[in-house]
Amino acid sequence: MLFNSFEFLLFFPLVFILHWFVFNNGKSSQNLFLIIASYFFYSCWDWRFSFLLGFSTILDYYSGLVISNSNDLKTKRNWMRLSIFINLGILCYFKYTNFFIDSFIHLFNSIGFHCDPFTLNIIIPIGISFYTFHGISYVLDNYYGRIKATTNLVEYSLFVSFFPLLVAGPIERATHLLPQLSRKRKFSYVQSIEGCRLILWGMFKKVVIADSLSPIVEDIFTNYQNHNGITLIIGVISFAFQVYGDFSGYTDIARGISKLLGIELILNFNFPYFSRSIPEFWSRWHISLSSWLNDYVFTPLALKFRHHEKYGIFIAIFITFLISGFWHGAGLHFIAWGGYYGLLYIPYIFSKKGIKSIVSKKSDPLKASDLPKIILTFSLVCLGYVFFRSPELSHSFRFLDHLISDCSLSQKVAYKSFLIYPLLILLADLIRFKSNFLDSIPVYILIVLMILHHSTNQSNFIYFKF
Amino acid sequence: MTHTTQDLLPIFRYVFENDEIEISETTVAADIPEWDSLNHIYLVVAIEKHFKVKFTTHQIQSWQCVGDIITHLNL
Repeated sequence: MLFNSFEFLLFFPLVFILHWFVFNNGKSSQNLFLIIASYFFYSCWDWRFSFLLGFSTILDYYSGLVISNSNDLKTKRNWMRLSIFINLGILCYFKYTNFFIDSFIHLFNSIGFHCDPFTLNIIIPIGISFYTFHGISYVLDNYYGRIKATTNLVEYSLFVSFFPLLVAGPIERATHLLPQLSRKRKFSYVQSIEGCRLILWGMFKKVVIADSLSPIVEDIFTNYQNHNGITLIIGVISFAFQVYGDFSGYTDIARGISKLLGIELILNFNFPYFSRSIPEFWSRWHISLSSWLNDYVFTPLALKFRHHEKYGIFIAIFITFLISGFWHGAGLHFIAWGGYYGLLYIPYIFSKKGIKSIVSKKSDPLKASDLPKIILTFSLVCLGYVFFRSPELSHSFRFLDHLISDCSLSQKVAYKSFLIYPLLILLADLIRFKSNFLDSIPVYILIVLMILHHSTNQSNFIYFKF
Repeated sequence: MTHTTQDLLPIFRYVFENDEIEISETTVAADIPEWDSLNHIYLVVAIEKHFKVKFTTHQIQSWQCVGDIITHLNL
């Protein structure tokens, strides 16, 4: 059940009405109802995986309780390790088994043995990468004493399974979401209107922008041999706006739906293509994942290697981005994409000024003189997208080779994708963040009409497969 | 010997390159703009060198405010 599907159009109003007008006796009934709704939502893809979600929930809930209540560091450590081992084991089995089989077969064949390729018929449970990260962060926060484990299984279950964030995030933290679930939610007109605005702008970014760019990008990346270099560059830039419109649109819808249920989710995107450096980009793009990796991967690694000073920092950053790439998908091109970002940090780490953070904490206001830095950063990000978007690593290199070798101007340049959609997405974000004359009912009616006009081809969200 | 925030203050100012920083036991990372994840690592290294101590990863990860650092320094 996609957010932009007819089924969801029936599902959500029903959930909204029942949440505020039937199950409104207290937080327990509100939470229980939302759990039932969330499991129903999840079961619409494949009901069997609801049991996996339930198992993961109970495992992390119980591990958190034991860790929090124990005074023995060894007991805490053992339960933390057990929980993470099982969580990652499940994730690896479903997401990476075929990748490892394929890699081993390649390795065996390359050293002279003969092994026929084969794959196991494994279906990847939707959202597994996201809810696994919810559970891991909860257990680690308990282990390091940052939070006290909740004794309320209903609240914890909703923290993991809350349907707006279940399948593609944002990756919430217990410190932010659990307190909201532990009190009765009261309907707020202002919050609901803000939620509706977010849903509309999210739908606009997804349906009008991302889905319109999708066939252009698909054609350019699939048939790259038939296009010249300039068109390939436009294809990459178009993908930059497609993936942004798709994923930030999804996040806006998720945040809007949550607001309508009285729950605030964290901001996941903050004008990423206006970043002046790569660390700034990662503090503006998929913020919930970047900060998760920063806290639970980079920091422990950097602490481990801290006495190697800048070299230790580089190793920690490089491994973190490799993991980030691998998290996005079981493919060498995703690992290459992660490694590419790890390498991009070298100048920041070893420069005289030095790097401040894997995700920069401070952000000065933008100035006109920042334009060259913004263009450079965006170009580097686009180069990374070649690896991200390609179906396999060799395709990325062939694509880049063709891009460089044939840079003649074409008659068939897709100006629409190059000019109109980036401007539309900028407009959508500016209006969303700053109220102005465009934030009015006639404009929203126009947006609804545009969404309806473009909604004939219903397509999946890119980040669902992660 | 019992350490206090005054013993830590010069290290904070040196690592964060800001001589105007003031700290108390309740100071948290959010109170100091320069206190981000990477500077946190440099801060740990500087404290360990200065006081000739070695913290465990579990200790460092459990720090939530300056008071927690002092508690572990005084163990």
